Amino acid sequence: MTGLVEVYQQQMKTSFAAMLQYRAALVIWLISQVLDPVIYLVVWSTVTAASGGEVGGYTRGDFAAYFLVLMLVNNITYSWIMHEYEYRVREGTLSAALLRPVHPIHADIADNLSSKMISTPMMLALAVGLGFVFRPTIHLVPWALAAFLPAVALAFVLRFLIEWTLALAAFWTTRVSALNQTYYVALLFLSGQVAPLSLFPGFVQAIGTALPFRWMISFPVELLLGNLTPAQTLIGFAAQVAWIAIGLVLVRLTWRTGVRQYSAVGA
Amino acid sequence: MRTGGVYNPPAMTNPAVHVHELTKVYKVTEREAGMAAALRSLVHRKTEDVRAVDGISFDLAPGEVVGFLGPNGAGKTTTLKMLSGLLHPTAGSLSVLGFTPARRERDFLRQITLVMGQRNQLVWDIPAIDTFELSRAVYRLPAADYQHTLHELTELLDLGPLLKKPVRNLSLGERMKCEIAAALLHRPKVVFLDEPTIGLDVTMQRRIRAFFADYNKRFGATILLTSHYMNDVEALCRRVIVIHEGKLLFDGDLAALLQRFSSHKTIVVQLETCPDRLEGYGEVVSCEDGLITLRVPKAETSRTTARLLADLPVIDLTVEDPPIEEVIERVFAQEAE
Amino acid sequence: MSALRLVWTFFRIGVMGEAAYRVNFVIQLFQSLLGLLTALGGLAVVFAYTDTLGGWRPDEVVALVGVYILVGGVIGVVIQPSMEALIEGVHDGSLDFTLTMPEEAQLLVSIQDVDIWQVLNILLGFGVLGVALSRLGEQVDVLQAAVFGLMILAGGAIVYAFWLILATLSFWFVRVENILVIFQSVYEAGRWPVSLYPGWLRFGLTFLVPVAFAVTVPAEALTGRLTWQTGLGAVALATALLVVSRVFWKVGLRNYSGASA
Repeated sequence: MTGLVEVYQQQMKTSFAAMLQYRAALVIWLISQVLDPVIYLVVWSTVTAASGGEVGGYTRGDFAAYFLVLMLVNNITYSWIMHEYEYRVREGTLSAALLRPVHPIHADIADNLSSKMISTPMMLALAVGLGFVFRPTIHLVPWALAAFLPAVALAFVLRFLIEWTLALAAFWTTRVSALNQTYYVALLFLSGQVAPLSLFPGFVQAIGTALPFRWMISFPVELLLGNLTPAQTLIGFAAQVAWIAIGLVLVRLTWRTGVRQYSAVGA
Repeated sequence: MRTGGVYNPPAMTNPAVHVHELTKVYKVTEREAGMAAALRSLVHRKTEDVRAVDGISFDLAPGEVVGFLGPNGAGKTTTLKMLSGLLHPTAGSLSVLGFTPARRERDFLRQITLVMGQRNQLVWDIPAIDTFELSRAVYRLPAADYQHTLHELTELLDLGPLLKKPVRNLSLGERMKCEIAAALLHRPKVVFLDEPTIGLDVTMQRRIRAFFADYNKRFGATILLTSHYMNDVEALCRRVIVIHEGKLLFDGDLAALLQRFSSHKTIVVQLETCPDRLEGYGEVVSCEDGLITLRVPKAETSRTTARLLADLPVIDLTVEDPPIEEVIERVFAQEAE
Repeated sequence: MSALRLVWTFFRIGVMGEAAYRVNFVIQLFQSLLGLLTALGGLAVVFAYTDTLGGWRPDEVVALVGVYILVGGVIGVVIQPSMEALIEGVHDGSLDFTLTMPEEAQLLVSIQDVDIWQVLNILLGFGVLGVALSRLGEQVDVLQAAVFGLMILAGGAIVYAFWLILATLSFWFVRVENILVIFQSVYEAGRWPVSLYPGWLRFGLTFLVPVAFAVTVPAEALTGRLTWQTGLGAVALATALLVVSRVFWKVGLRNYSGASA
């Protein structure tokens, strides 16, 4: 166990140092993460203004709150691991990871977390700043706020596991970009990034709920905004845990078969 | 200033390349390791001056093949870049074919070429012949001239079967031959070669050296070749310029350089253990765990090797050239005398 | 003119290079359709709750999406790949080869790489545009088409200048490839009429990252919204930016070759 802790420490130190070297990249990445929610926020505000101040139960202030929280949750749960693996397989650097006695997922988690240590506070600051521009309506319920933190943590774990599994597709094909993009489009709609899920027709909501997408991003957002009852929240947690369990199985499975496949073809 | 052994030809009336007190200074950022230093560097960056090229001077006559020898980081590539117009000098003057390279005039660029080892200008996915079309368009080569030169180069480099294959399917050596051809399609008067044989196997290295010797004979181009391999320079150049830490150490006859500073070879012999006595084979540089390093005059090499093999229970034996660094050291030491 | 001949040669080489990978055609088709799906999906949700968006009717926004895809294709065919290649060339030194060629370096780096499959986007964009315009029942007369063409050209020139300026930054800054991500994400904003955005964002999308001129302005030309001031402004800005980007490029080149300032 201590060995693992050290792996995390070392990886985070390296990632941290690397990141400080490339400050411009950080700023640029943040901008792209802010823009999407802001765009949809503006669009929905326009729709609200033209529809008598309210759409599907959301006022302009509600939309502002929704998208700003979404922006934050998206940042916390974000990973670039799918691009990373495509790159690694292409460049042949994956072989090095295969030779290490530690499961490579740990290095990837550490790398992800260390970048968040810098980007998330900045994102928080941006969210607050944008809050002054877009005036979200905030009604925080204490228990919801308390439940928000574990919900986001679980969402991060879930999203990371799923995306890590999908990243391994790079073992089987070099055409992962098609897979990645399909995933991102599905994620876009089904995790509530285009609009709150409740605004979508029933069947879309059902798909998003049955698949892990809602639990990766939308659920913590709905929770913090006070749109869920305690009962619904508990069900949500259960869904997250269930999907994480599935995710863990998938990770093990794909890694094992992937490595076999990779070594067979010629690492 | 160390100017011993500098070649002073009778004043060259029209040198192809003229370099005088050429200097290039870089600013490099300093960074120490550790988290604290990383955070500090967010706010303040320390720089220091590096003299990559430090006041070198030489002239090349048209049609000369000259070797630019020196260890890595000596300033060879930097000098070459200044000569081809890629880099502005910090101080000093230079002219190539009467042009100031840094001005990058069209007429200047049409008459030079730069070949860099292990760097590709060929388009990866298509046959080399198609990239040649690009050269043809860029250098505005009339069809007849282009075909003629292509034919000659194909012959000299043995390119026949290679031209129609996509470049990514070629081996490293085959690719290098095509790169060289691409660089010479416009029959440049001055050819700059930057480590052209690096990474290639011995046979290919020899073939490429032979090609350039032929090319120089046939087209009379001035060739400046940089390398840290003694063999490259030995095979091609009569005159060699030695560069070290940006300064010109030696400019003169290669034969003279070899005779003065590279008159020995190193023989490395592996035995079971170090023998108590080891005389008469040459200067013993070291002996550790049975690995003996001997310094032997060049003329004696084969005789000594034969004797070693006959007399001793040799497990392994290699004969090596003194590394260029050793040659440089001796040039340095010579100047100090 | 020999510059045109050079462009044609690079284009041919680019096509040859890409044609070697026919599977990329399928990939690009897939991506383009996915992009269209995303855009239309978003529109579908939005217009389920309203009839107009900032004064734009649904089919007018679809026309905007068509222009968005079309211009995306124009950028993706040569501007983006060449500028990406430029940034890479600065890093790995292959720019040196280009600089020893006796041709205008800016021209060479701007046409050096062609992604021929992006033509699919151009075609798809025209298709979507055509469908939207026919649904609107609007006839596009010759004058409107000409103005549209001019606005596309102006928008294209503005985007090119913008990319050149960004790519030139790689002479000073190392990790500039991420700047390309900026453009991709900011370009997303072009799927919606720029008039929707609050003033400060509209300013940013017009003058900082020229999405408005690339997408909304040409779309305005086709939906009868273009004022002559905007049209003139687009042409003026295009000219100015082409000049500025060239100057900046020359400055960057001087820095790259270590010329004293």
